[in-house]
Amino acid sequence: MQYMLMIYEDERVYGPEKSGPALQEVAGKQRALRDELGAVWVGGGGLRAAASATTVRTANGSQTIHDGPFAETKEQLGGFHLIDVADLDEAIAIAKKVPLAEDGAIEIRPLLSG
Amino acid sequence: MGAAALGKAAREAGGRIVAAIAARFRDLDIAEEAFAEACARAAAAWPDRGAPCDPAAWLYRVAQRCALDEMRRRRTRERHRPEPPAPAPTPEEIVIDDAEIIPDERLRLIFVCCHPAVSIEARAALTLRLVCGLSIDEIARAFLLSDAALSQRLTRAKRKIRDAGVPFEVPGPAAWHDRLDAVLSTLEIAYAKAHEDAAGEGPRAWYASEVLRLTRILAELVPEEPDAPALAAMVRYAEARRPARVDDTGAMVPLSEQDPVLWDRPLIAEANSYQAVAEAKAGHGYRVVQARIHRAWCARRSLDEPPPWSDVLALYDTLVERRDDPIVRLNRAVALAEVAGVAVALDEVQRLDRDALERFLPYHAVRADLLRRSGRGEEAREAYEAALALGPTSAERRWLQRRRDACHAGIREDRP
Repeated sequence: MQYMLMIYEDERVYGPEKSGPALQEVAGKQRALRDELGAVWVGGGGLRAAASATTVRTANGSQTIHDGPFAETKEQLGGFHLIDVADLDEAIAIAKKVPLAEDGAIEIRPLLSG
Repeated sequence: MGAAALGKAAREAGGRIVAAIAARFRDLDIAEEAFAEACARAAAAWPDRGAPCDPAAWLYRVAQRCALDEMRRRRTRERHRPEPPAPAPTPEEIVIDDAEIIPDERLRLIFVCCHPAVSIEARAALTLRLVCGLSIDEIARAFLLSDAALSQRLTRAKRKIRDAGVPFEVPGPAAWHDRLDAVLSTLEIAYAKAHEDAAGEGPRAWYASEVLRLTRILAELVPEEPDAPALAAMVRYAEARRPARVDDTGAMVPLSEQDPVLWDRPLIAEANSYQAVAEAKAGHGYRVVQARIHRAWCARRSLDEPPPWSDVLALYDTLVERRDDPIVRLNRAVALAEVAGVAVALDEVQRLDRDALERFLPYHAVRADLLRRSGRGEEAREAYEAALALGPTSAERRWLQRRRDACHAGIREDRP
């Protein structure tokens, strides 16, 4: 099954526009995890700060374009891994290894196509 | 004849059959529906032709075929290539070749039902439904929920298990500790529901033996975890006292007044050996201490021996250090009343968080008892009424009514 591991952190720990030293350190660990996962790792990457987000919203048939993420939250989606494993327990084991700068959360979601 | 045999087989082997099918097909809904379908077919066939010699094996075999059919239908619907059909046995074959052993996959199923990805509220209900085979109605009553609310909770949990890809496996050693705790808590809740019914005649008393069995399997499987044998010991100590929990009039008998001669000694001996295992693992956790309290009670041999109140109080003091919650404090107060006096205990109970305990029947019963013994008859009577309003089982109701009727304002009594 394929799972998306979505990394949520308070992006302020990475400094303005995610350019601080913490980012270099965590990005290095993310690459190490990707290498360790080998064929299990399908895709993924880090995202620029939420301020860079643009949202296209469709409501009642008409589309509008907004500046910013679709919802303002205390923790933001900062990156993701797409992995291909046997079951949820394997996905949980990998999610536990995803590096964070400080506190944060990894949301595990199975892909519809499985 | 057929209906009685079916009821018995469904009740006794239902959990095992559902578990075996769920483990094979990795789908809880298919397992549940296939078992229901097998029971429906049995209900139609057995009254005329008579029950097969091994009804459980018959149900298992037919349920397996129903599950296989359903899997094929689904595959066809999804436009995948169907698997080649398995040779279908004729009804005669089913009756003749019915000595098949049903594989016991219940432990696997418990770990699925108690997976941390399943909501806590749904775990116990799902385990009771799938592993112990309780009806929706029975579980709904045990959890004070409507049938509709419970069904919805179960449906949501089963969908989560399927969609999230929860594995149908017993977890590996690295995940044991966390996963085991979820399982033990679920079994604790399940046993508590069975234990509430002192007379053992209610709809959920029968599955106490099921919980005993499951705790034994867990204790054997995780020899390094003291909590598993401690829980196995605890439910055995509690179950051993069942024969003494109700008097001739059908009223509940409080623990300190139960005649130890009536207790099930072989079961207590079994509990003692589980507890010895837990103690040998240097277990000092919550469950191990709780089992020690039960052991202290079950060491009593006759009503001539004084009840072990001071030991029990000391153990509750330890328990409060492990888990300081209002229910532990309430139980401690019962022992405190015997050791330090009713006034001290009542003071302690009055300080507990009333809002948290408002719907907890023992809170009102303990409070009522302490008020009665303090000579505050009118308040005691009100507390008994509050307990009775929470829908006790018949044995408990009789006992509470008797105590309530014995309340007269101004009469002081230091021993019940």
